[in-house]
Amino acid sequence: MRLHEYEALDIFEQNRIPVPRRELVSDMHDALHAAGEIGYPVIIKAQVLVGGRGLAGGIKTASNPDELKEAADALFSSEIKGMPVRKALVCQKVDIARELYLGMTVDGYSGKPVIVVSTEGGVLIEDTAKTSPEKIAAIHIEPSFGYYPYQARSLLRMLGLEQKLITPWSEIIGQLYHIATRYEALIAEINPLVVLSNGALMAVDAVLEVDDSALSRIRFPLPDRVDRIENPLERRGREIGVTYVDLDGDIGLISSGAGLGMASMDIIGQKMKPANFLETGGGITADLLYRCMELIMMKPDLRGIFINVYGGINPIHEGAKGVIRYMQEHNVKIPVVAKALGNRQEETWEIFKSGGVHVVTEAATEKAVEVLYKLVGPGGKNGGGSAKTGAKRA
Amino acid sequence: MSILMNDSTRVIVQGITGRIGSAQTHWMLEYGTRVVGGVTPGKGGTTVEGVPVFDSVLEAVKETGANASVFFVPAAFVLDAFLETIDAGVKLIVIVPEHIPVKDVLKMRSYAVEKGVFALGPTTPGILVPGMGKMGIMPASLFAPGRVGIISRSGTLSYEFAGILSESNVGQSTVVGMGADPVVLRNLADILELFENDKDTDAVIVVGEVGGEQEEKAAGFIARKMSKPVAAYIAGRYSPQGKKMGHAGAIVRGSAGTHAGKHEALRAAGVEVLESPIDVAKWAKKHKLK
Repeated sequence: MRLHEYEALDIFEQNRIPVPRRELVSDMHDALHAAGEIGYPVIIKAQVLVGGRGLAGGIKTASNPDELKEAADALFSSEIKGMPVRKALVCQKVDIARELYLGMTVDGYSGKPVIVVSTEGGVLIEDTAKTSPEKIAAIHIEPSFGYYPYQARSLLRMLGLEQKLITPWSEIIGQLYHIATRYEALIAEINPLVVLSNGALMAVDAVLEVDDSALSRIRFPLPDRVDRIENPLERRGREIGVTYVDLDGDIGLISSGAGLGMASMDIIGQKMKPANFLETGGGITADLLYRCMELIMMKPDLRGIFINVYGGINPIHEGAKGVIRYMQEHNVKIPVVAKALGNRQEETWEIFKSGGVHVVTEAATEKAVEVLYKLVGPGGKNGGGSAKTGAKRA
Repeated sequence: MSILMNDSTRVIVQGITGRIGSAQTHWMLEYGTRVVGGVTPGKGGTTVEGVPVFDSVLEAVKETGANASVFFVPAAFVLDAFLETIDAGVKLIVIVPEHIPVKDVLKMRSYAVEKGVFALGPTTPGILVPGMGKMGIMPASLFAPGRVGIISRSGTLSYEFAGILSESNVGQSTVVGMGADPVVLRNLADILELFENDKDTDAVIVVGEVGGEQEEKAAGFIARKMSKPVAAYIAGRYSPQGKKMGHAGAIVRGSAGTHAGKHEALRAAGVEVLESPIDVAKWAKKHKLK
């Protein structure tokens, strides 16, 4: 779960990382009031969970109330990469002498946390990594030993920094690692970490992404995870316990695994266009698939439905019952094609057939998608399916 | 004959008394797997599907001679049970459960490496050796004995590829699910190495997906060390932006993770890249695999 900047800044502040004076606002009047207290000049930043917010016009500077009024009006009436701006953060604009970068993530390949620093912070940090690798340094942390302060000191020495910067920056690295551990963060990032004109360091941005699988055991207050999903269908997916991504096609999809779901999208995309991605994971029941049908049918103008499930850990015969119960209760007229193989497959096929579902018994998803294509015919949308919003999955 | 599992593999099921653990024990036994015991703390002395249940892994190992374990333990308890299993001397562990915190997986992986344990998962369907046995949840009907190895990040796609091959009368030597999580207990290249050294495997299929850098790193191994033909499929050409690990992830990994990047890396290593799962049948025919 990705936290908003204002939430992450609060956590950073509680953990003794210097951050700017700031106030969260939800309209232009609040923004003016906040700026009056903070003092001009200010920066107003849209609180939306998308990457590249600054380059997309989500961050503006104002040196007086007129400029702020204009900036706030523009922000609150805009969308940043498809996300409406409901909240913004008004921040003190500080005097920046230098921009640095500090980030932490988990390196999946080595199976270790990694800390990355650079003397060139800012929006172009990923380009710096390619063009000037000597300005970047990274260090892996052994999971069984954890972090020790010498690691930050030696990391910063790799960048050839002067000692007066190494001491305060090492402390911030230690604090950020502490936060990342407590909140089980998959990403903790300060970009930029700025050197002020008086030489002090300050985090003027904050990124914190918490491991969804750890949410139930984190003992620090966290915002509700469902609330922050903007798309109502995706929010509904989270509520019923499946992964749903809203797409702009007209073929509904239910799959029992992420890989199978992605492959199904790719194959549907050859001649048609998926309306959604949906994967159930290993928890299929009759009720769950009933609710999945309900969810994918919320999109108007579906031309067909493709169900692709395997009975390994999932009782697919139970799932089939839920699908046909929905179809009968709601008098579903569009073609529904199901490929369902694995444990209790024959029983599953009988249940699907009894409800008017077209059953494909071969393993290749292509063959089942071809059956669907013949039923729905050409003429609909085609070409894969792009996400309806640029939203990062929260 | 196979990798990871063989005639002397004696399996215990951890979390055997749970709904999924007991159902899957039934399917594993039905497939001929030598399931010699189960473990659920507090349920020792009972039986599930005729298999004796023990309170601790050490007791199960002593009583049954078990040397492998498959997990159906609730996610929150997996780390604890995993460490217990390693300390009891088990050398092959399959972690089926999903939603295990990454922090726990890092500790598990670190301890497994230290103790020389081969562990797969989390979120893996496990291992299946057609006609011999399975540890995990793979549905037996899709598999047939033969000489093609399959490694898959996705559980359901491992079934899909095995199913397509089996329908084309091409069997599998061993099918391995490496786990679908961002951090898994064994990297792809390690499993490829086992297949390269297995005299009963003639060729290998890698079923990958967008995200991470397993396929890119494995491409390097394939170019340097693999003599057997390798084909690969990468799911997610049209997938919306996946989980991006921030700038730090992008910096550490460079261009790795994209569909196009994985295709490029694999092709450069001499891997035959399949555009669609069904193409695996043609590939198998071309190489006269069976």
